[in-house]
Amino acid sequence: MSEVFDGYERHYCELSANLTRSCASAGVLIGEQKKQKLSEIQAGLDDADALIRKMDLEARSLQPSIKAALLAKLREYKKDLSNLKTDVKRLTSTDPYQDAGRDELLESGSADTMVSAADQKGRLLMSTERLNQSTERIKESKRTVLETEELGVSILQDLHQQRQSLLHAHSTLHEADDNISRSKRLLTTMSRRMNRNKIIIWSVIGVLVIAILLVLYFKLIH
Amino acid sequence: MGDQLGRGEEFVKKAEKKLNGWGLFGSKYEDAADLFDKAANCFKLAKSWDKAGSTYVKMVNCYLKSESKHEAAQAYINAAQCYKKTATKEAISCFQQAVNLFCDIGRLSMAARYYKEIAELYESEQNIEQAMDYFEKAADFFQNEDVSSSANQCKLKVAQFAAQIEQYQKAIAIYEEIAQKSLTNNLLKYGVKGHLLNAGICQLCKSDVVAITNALERYQDLDPTFSGTREYRLLADIASAIDEEDVTKFTEVVKEFDSMTPLDSWKTTLLLRVKDRLKAKELEEDDLT
Repeated sequence: MSEVFDGYERHYCELSANLTRSCASAGVLIGEQKKQKLSEIQAGLDDADALIRKMDLEARSLQPSIKAALLAKLREYKKDLSNLKTDVKRLTSTDPYQDAGRDELLESGSADTMVSAADQKGRLLMSTERLNQSTERIKESKRTVLETEELGVSILQDLHQQRQSLLHAHSTLHEADDNISRSKRLLTTMSRRMNRNKIIIWSVIGVLVIAILLVLYFKLIH
Repeated sequence: MGDQLGRGEEFVKKAEKKLNGWGLFGSKYEDAADLFDKAANCFKLAKSWDKAGSTYVKMVNCYLKSESKHEAAQAYINAAQCYKKTATKEAISCFQQAVNLFCDIGRLSMAARYYKEIAELYESEQNIEQAMDYFEKAADFFQNEDVSSSANQCKLKVAQFAAQIEQYQKAIAIYEEIAQKSLTNNLLKYGVKGHLLNAGICQLCKSDVVAITNALERYQDLDPTFSGTREYRLLADIASAIDEEDVTKFTEVVKEFDSMTPLDSWKTTLLLRVKDRLKAKELEEDDLT
C-alpha cells in the first residue's frame, strides 16, 4: 500500500522542483511570456494540490505506525506548496513598473545593511539605551502602583469610619424608635387623663347647676 | 450687602426690646431667641462674622434662661463657627462652653467631635501642646462612645505631635497599639505596615540600638508579612547604618526609599533629626580620635 504513497511522493517532488524553477524564470520575464508561464505554473500547482490530497487519503488508510511518519512528511509538502503559491501570487501581483523601482530600492537598501552590520557598537549602544528606557518605565510603574496602594489604604480607612458611623446611626434610629413608641404611650395616657378630667369637670358643673336650679326652685316654691 | 446689616440691627433691637419688656405667657425668651437667630442670619449674609457670633452668644443667654440646654449648646456651636472665620480665641472659648453643655446633657459623642474641632484649631495655630491635649480628650470621649475609628484617628494625631515634641515613648506606644488593633480588622490591616514604620522611625529617634532591634523583631512577630516590605528593609538598613555610624549609607538608603514613595514632611523631619544625631556622633568620634 505504501508503494502507492511512494509513487505519489516521487511525482509530487518532481512537480514541485519544476514549479520552483518555473517561478524563478517567470520572475525575470515580462508581459505575454510571463502570463503564459504563470498560467503553466498555476496548472502545475493544481496538479500538486490533487496529488497531496491523494497522498493524504493514502496515508490515513495505512497502519498507525507508518501513518504518523507519512503525515509528518505530508505536512512538509503542504508547507512547501503554500510557499510556492505565495510566490506565484507575488509574481502575478507585481507591477512591471514596480519591479524597476523595487530593484533600485532594494539595491540601495542592501548597501545600507552592509554598512550598519559593520556598526556593531552603534547597535549595542542602541539596545543598552532601550534597556535603560524600559527599566525607567518599570520603575515609574512601580511608583504608580505604590501610590495606588497608599490610596487604597486610605480609602479603606475611610470606609471603616463610614461603616462605624452607619452602625452608630442604625442603633440611634432604633433608640429613637423606642423613644417614639414610649412617647406615644405617654401621650395616649395624657389624653385619656385629660378626657377623664374634662368629664369630671363637666359632671361637677352639671351637679352644681342642678343644685343651683333645685335651690332656686325650692326658694320660688316657698 | 448693606441692607442685610440694617435688617440684622433691626432684628437685634426688636429682640432686646422683647427681652426688656414684659412677656405675655412667659414665652419671651423663645421669641427673643428667634429674633436673634434671624438677625444672626442677616449678619452672616452680610459677612460680618463678629456681629453674627455675638448675636449667637446673646441667643445662648436666652436659651439658658429658658432651660433648653440643647438649643443653647447648638447656638454656641453656631457662634463658634462664625468666630472660626475671624478670631480663633473666641471660637475656642465658644466651643469649650458648648462642650461643657453637651457633657451636661449627656451627648458625649458631640462633645468628642467638638473637642476634635478645638484641637484642629489649635493645630492650625501651631500650638502643639494644647492641640495634643485636646486630641487626647477627644480620643478618650470617642473611646467611651465606642467609636473606635475616630478614636484611632485622634490618637494618631496625638502620636504625631508627641513625636514632634520629642515624646517618643508615648508615640511609639500609641503606634504599636493602633497597629495591634488594626491587624484583626479586614479593612484596616493594609495600613498596619504604615503604622509600624512610624513606630520604627520614632524608635530610631530615641537612638537606642538594642531597643530598635528588639522592636523590629516584635513587629515581625506582630505581622509576619512585615519583613518582606520595603518599610522593614528601610528600618533595618537605617539601624545598621546607625550601628556602623555611616552617614552616606544612611542618606543612600533614605534616598532609595524616597525615590519609590516620597516621604511626607513629618517623616522627613524625624529622619533629619536622626541624621543630625548620627553626624554629631561621627564628628564626636573624630574629635576624640
